[in-house]
Amino acid sequence: MSAADDAFERAFWQALEDLRAGSEQPIESYLRLVPREQRQELGRLLADLLLARGPAAPAAEGESEGYRRAVAVVDEVLGSRGASGILPGTLKAMRRARGVEPDAVVASLAADFDVQGEEGRRALARNYHRLETGKLLGSKLSRRLLDALAAVFEVDAAEVLAAARPAAGGPTLKGVPAMGRGAGARTPSPPPSSAAPPDPEVELVERLFHGGPDA
Amino acid sequence: MAEFDPIEAKAVEMLDDAQLEAVRAETVAANDERFELVLWNLCLRGVAVIERVCRNRGEACGLSGQEIELAIEDASARMLLRLSRLEPQPQVHVLAAEIAVACVERAWPLQKSAPRLSARTPQLRLVKGLDEAIETGRARPNDWENS
Repeated sequence: MSAADDAFERAFWQALEDLRAGSEQPIESYLRLVPREQRQELGRLLADLLLARGPAAPAAEGESEGYRRAVAVVDEVLGSRGASGILPGTLKAMRRARGVEPDAVVASLAADFDVQGEEGRRALARNYHRLETGKLLGSKLSRRLLDALAAVFEVDAAEVLAAARPAAGGPTLKGVPAMGRGAGARTPSPPPSSAAPPDPEVELVERLFHGGPDA
Repeated sequence: MAEFDPIEAKAVEMLDDAQLEAVRAETVAANDERFELVLWNLCLRGVAVIERVCRNRGEACGLSGQEIELAIEDASARMLLRLSRLEPQPQVHVLAAEIAVACVERAWPLQKSAPRLSARTPQLRLVKGLDEAIETGRARPNDWENS
């Protein structure tokens, strides 16, 4: 944080403390504490604070519909924290709040990674759904996928990366139970000679979602 | 949210904002499971600011009630993202206000651009010359003796 940002924060915090204590100073005394180019912004924030203070008691304000919805979002996101941290919950909450359908996110990712084929797009949609529902490992998500998601949601890529850190001791991915197989002398069947080569776009998508940070 | 020791939960609740931020930075770096508890407490403090700033600023910008509530939800999610970072963060009230302003001011598809009969959005800016007056000490608060 720069010295100017530090001064800005201190001035804002000082104003907030004074307001709480009922000993607020004239607004210019706070503006004086920050560099000239930041006074406009500080003035706006202080105006918001003064507006927000209002005559009602904080407890009554805290029970508004908006407050309840905000707390519900926090509760839902933290409650879904798991193998890919709080990323699934935050992606879902931001998407819903912005009225963005999952298809739109998938289309944007497809454009970013030049996935044009039907199979590739289907793989993107499937994996994005699995990501949003907490079924993927955060540590296996590639940096370029996280960067692309940050761009889609217009947030800092470092935040998306941090949010994807798996929760300590939290829920982990459940492995698929092994199927029992008899100990008979059944020989493994050879790979079908006519198997189609894997779709390169599907492979790309799998690498993005499961290949690790450098994939 | 996961269950935590009630005494520990109470202790975290009683921390002031700066202490809570310090504990957040520690727990997030150590991937300590109590990070969730700390984050919950920080967010509870932040959402009150988000709610007020989004409402006041959203009304001033002409957003509908529904849009304001969506901005509140968006800002709450973005605050969680921001508080996941390893780097030290500003005081939660400052952070929440900053994020709330950004969420209200983003492009809203339903926002009308046509003229409305409602009050104009207030344009808050410094009075011309006030900068210099502050610098030189010429600007002083009014009181009954000198005004």
